[in-house]
Amino acid sequence: MKRRPGISGLHSAAAARDQYRSVGENVARIRTDLLKDQLATFRTQLEEFARKHKHDIKKNPAFRAQFHEMCSKVGVDPLASNKGFWAELLGIGDFYYEIGVQIVEICLATRSHNGGLIDLNELCSMLSKKRRTSREPITTDDCLKAIDKLKVLGSGFEVFTVGKKKLVRSVPTELNKDHNQILELAEVRGFVLVEDVERALSWHPGRVIDALETLMKEGLVMIDDGHPDRKRRYWFPCVSLSSSNAEEL
Amino acid sequence: MGDFKFPYFFDYPPYFTLQPVQDTREKQMQLWKELILRYCQHHKCFIINLEQEFPLFQNLSIQRKLSFEAREMFLAALVAEGKAEWLDKAHKKCLVLWRSIQEWSEMILQLVRDNAMEDGVLTLDEIQSGDESRGTELAGIDRFVLVRALKLLEQRGKAAMFKGKAGDDEGVKFSAS
Repeated sequence: MKRRPGISGLHSAAAARDQYRSVGENVARIRTDLLKDQLATFRTQLEEFARKHKHDIKKNPAFRAQFHEMCSKVGVDPLASNKGFWAELLGIGDFYYEIGVQIVEICLATRSHNGGLIDLNELCSMLSKKRRTSREPITTDDCLKAIDKLKVLGSGFEVFTVGKKKLVRSVPTELNKDHNQILELAEVRGFVLVEDVERALSWHPGRVIDALETLMKEGLVMIDDGHPDRKRRYWFPCVSLSSSNAEEL
Repeated sequence: MGDFKFPYFFDYPPYFTLQPVQDTREKQMQLWKELILRYCQHHKCFIINLEQEFPLFQNLSIQRKLSFEAREMFLAALVAEGKAEWLDKAHKKCLVLWRSIQEWSEMILQLVRDNAMEDGVLTLDEIQSGDESRGTELAGIDRFVLVRALKLLEQRGKAAMFKGKAGDDEGVKFSAS
């Protein structure tokens, strides 16, 4: 803007500066909005990209690293908290880590009661009680995912199916076929009698007792001689129905 | 006082049978010991007589009760830990010290301070059930335990017990200031 001489020239200069300033501010505002829009678009594109290449991101560490770098440049943190898009996508995230730690805690705390085997549903319900104050409800699926992550860490956790139930094993004890069969029988009432097993599986009593004694030594079975019918019952804490255990933690 | 809250294992039948496997047995004992202490504290129960029924040792809802052997074993474990004492040679009567004698004596001192009785006199009856102890844990304390606690205070020079005149209750003079 050309300078005009005299006082009116000064006024003009001031006015011009003001105008420039407000234009400047506008420009800045426009630029920020533009940036925001651009970022939003970028984010969406990044998400699209992640969706398309989910497999590669999961399987290929080098690719994954580059992807992470892209994310951090734009201020997106795939490792951040909530169960949601990113955690789901990449299979990692604090949500499952947190659950994993809590699962380990629960398994350790209940180990002396159930010998290191716990029903998945019971585990899930105890987990929910533990996280009472937190945002989302936990599904058995979440538990399974978290346990999967635990496996990656080499912690010896295993989920296996016996009859109608899924059990989570947190000790190295592996059950053989005989044990599994008895366990399946026990699911019905939480306990078995030797005669039940004999009848159901057509086993010799010796074989039944052997299996039960091994299970007892592993801490998976407790005896009960108190029933009025005076027959010994063998209880399996891991398939029992009480989930008030949570209070004890 | 509130309802007593039973722990999860109380409703699980096997816990009423002495477990043969070492680790399991230890866990079982631990749970029962804690329960006995907590139950006695809640109900202000000081003596368990093995020759009598004690409500804690059975759960009617699951039709189970602890055998004599089990009860004796759990109480013996408490005795070994110093949390209980046998009152007779035959080990049939057990004094449950959910508070140690030491702790009781401290509580008496506290009562004395709270009521500005550092140089005062109280009868044992008053300590057990008088106005001063109402609402405190001392209310309802067993006489035998009380005397033991006071004896401890005597040793520390904080109290001196004396017998009342014929017909009067025993009393204690405090020098706790």
